[in-house]
Amino acid sequence: MPSALKIALEDLLKTQRLTAEGPPLRGEDRRGTALATGVPGLDDLLFGGLPRGQVSEIHGAASSGRTGIALAIAARSTRAGALAAWVDPHDRLDPRSAADAGIDLARLLWLRGAPGASGGRPLLSAVSAVGALLGSGLFELVVVDLGGIDRAGLQRLPGATWIRLQRTIESQPGALLLVADAHVAHGPAGVSLALRGAGASWSGAPGPGRLLRGLTSEIKAGRHALRGTAVELRASP
Amino acid sequence: MYGALHSPYPLAEGALLAVAHAFTPRVESLLATDVLLDLQGLGRVWPAPEVLGQALLLSGRDRGLTLHAAVASTRVAALVAARGRAGLTVITPGQEAEMLAPLSLDLLDLADDRRALFRRWGLGTLGDLAALPAKGLAERLGPDGPRLRRLALGQDDTPLVPTRAPDTFESTLELEWPIDGLEPLSFVLARVLDPLMAALARRGRRAAALTLELGLVDGACVRRTLKPATPSVEARTWRTLLLLDLEARPPVDGGSWESGRAQSILTVTVAAEPTAARTVQYSLLDPAQPSPEKLAELMARLHEWTAAGRGGAPALLDTHRPGAFAMEGFAPGPPAAGATTPPEPRLALRAYRPPMPAQVVVRDGGPVFVSAGAGVRGPVVDRAGPWQASGDWWDIPWSRSEWDVALAGGALFRIFNDRLRDAWFVDGELD
Repeated sequence: MPSALKIALEDLLKTQRLTAEGPPLRGEDRRGTALATGVPGLDDLLFGGLPRGQVSEIHGAASSGRTGIALAIAARSTRAGALAAWVDPHDRLDPRSAADAGIDLARLLWLRGAPGASGGRPLLSAVSAVGALLGSGLFELVVVDLGGIDRAGLQRLPGATWIRLQRTIESQPGALLLVADAHVAHGPAGVSLALRGAGASWSGAPGPGRLLRGLTSEIKAGRHALRGTAVELRASP
Repeated sequence: MYGALHSPYPLAEGALLAVAHAFTPRVESLLATDVLLDLQGLGRVWPAPEVLGQALLLSGRDRGLTLHAAVASTRVAALVAARGRAGLTVITPGQEAEMLAPLSLDLLDLADDRRALFRRWGLGTLGDLAALPAKGLAERLGPDGPRLRRLALGQDDTPLVPTRAPDTFESTLELEWPIDGLEPLSFVLARVLDPLMAALARRGRRAAALTLELGLVDGACVRRTLKPATPSVEARTWRTLLLLDLEARPPVDGGSWESGRAQSILTVTVAAEPTAARTVQYSLLDPAQPSPEKLAELMARLHEWTAAGRGGAPALLDTHRPGAFAMEGFAPGPPAAGATTPPEPRLALRAYRPPMPAQVVVRDGGPVFVSAGAGVRGPVVDRAGPWQASGDWWDIPWSRSEWDVALAGGALFRIFNDRLRDAWFVDGELD
């Protein structure tokens, strides 16, 4: 091989390896590395991103920005060539919002709960599906949308549910992210992000032609919520 | 030593080959009525050519076929003798020319113009042609003249080219004792699938689809056909897919394998639809793609979701109708080229499907109070709108005035007034 071509190829490999953030190559173990979220400020708050092989959670009240943040993390994964799954027992995901967030929809497996289903069955089915998704090892990120499910609904699940899922994901290079109204569970090395809506921003004075510009979300990380950041979620055009 | 079988009447495709394959795998099928057999090495089993010839005829008779057979030391001698003589003909080595001489020249596969020419020359039998000088034939007919003369003398000009048996990838296992349940079936399937997939792999093929037939003790038959997105030759993957399918759709209405209401299984037949093996060039720089076998297995495990159309990849539709999308099968291809950096985080809609009916108090043309239950209730503290939208007047029309509202608790919702029904709905929560 001509030396110039060899040098160019080595440079290319070096560059690609340095910037590579896609799924692991065959045999590569990335469990020790964090899954970057791609959200400005959040990666610094989490010291690199969501820990792989752990159950993490994002919780907050309605309009706290939890769905927007979760979609941004999924967008970061799918655009890097990895697969993401969105388990949605109450069928709340809006594909238009997912596309606006930058998700490569072809790389997002969306499991939607049946319409009108109530009681604990949708949640049990969702947990069962999460087990299959984690066990396959194909997904870098599995999001479970528990938003809108109250504490009584979550208590219908068997007590060891989250421990079992944590044990399942421990051997996998992906991350499991719970999106909920309040604290549910997280792994021993997983993160718990508490979100709070810090107010919406609007364009101009009330009246015709006014637009919702976005929402500021305050994020606190850790059990004692000592560290925090604020993220601006812009409304889709 | 060669043998030939000839049927005086056309037979179904493969009938003659089946007779011949019972004796040797080296068989050449010529026409619908002729087949040649390479009998080299069968002398230890059949001590005399006559016995072997009789066995060939008997084998055909067992299948309901009336055949003519010949055994000779050359292919052409055996073939012509079988065509020209009824019953069994055995030609001892060195006697080919003598035995073929009285037979008609039409028994050779001649072109029409060549046959007409020989007729004009007054040739009627193979002996007539063999008696002509090779040099004279070469001068008049070129290289074809001596070649035809050699055939008339019973001398071969080409070797036997065996016809390959048609590729059928099917395997059946008849059980001595009926089995119940999926667990014992799993072991039986492994015994059937392992050699079947190995046979496919040896031929450089993959199974694009698999058909499983279970013969039950009451004579009924359960048939399942699986066709995953990607062909596979992994026996373990196919076994898992078949078991998951049987588990998800028990063969008896209202019954299941576990409940014991399903019938016991007596025979297991698996047939594979072969397809050419896929050659994939892996990229040095792109991330590794998911294994198609693993993906097919996962989708089978998620049958509860995918069967109802509630699992897959969402796809946007080319329409302005709010909330319009389609669910497509989850088969991720190579990552899209382009920037991998996602846009900044966006506000997302948590949709209510169907939209939640709401009672809205309107003052000065805008909503001031929203009540829709389930936490969506309160005075509107801020709002943006209305945004008028309509469409599909030629199909199922829709027309709405949209508002983004902030309620007193801080929650943001998208509400709309359906102008066709004059009713308010909550489209979803902005989160």
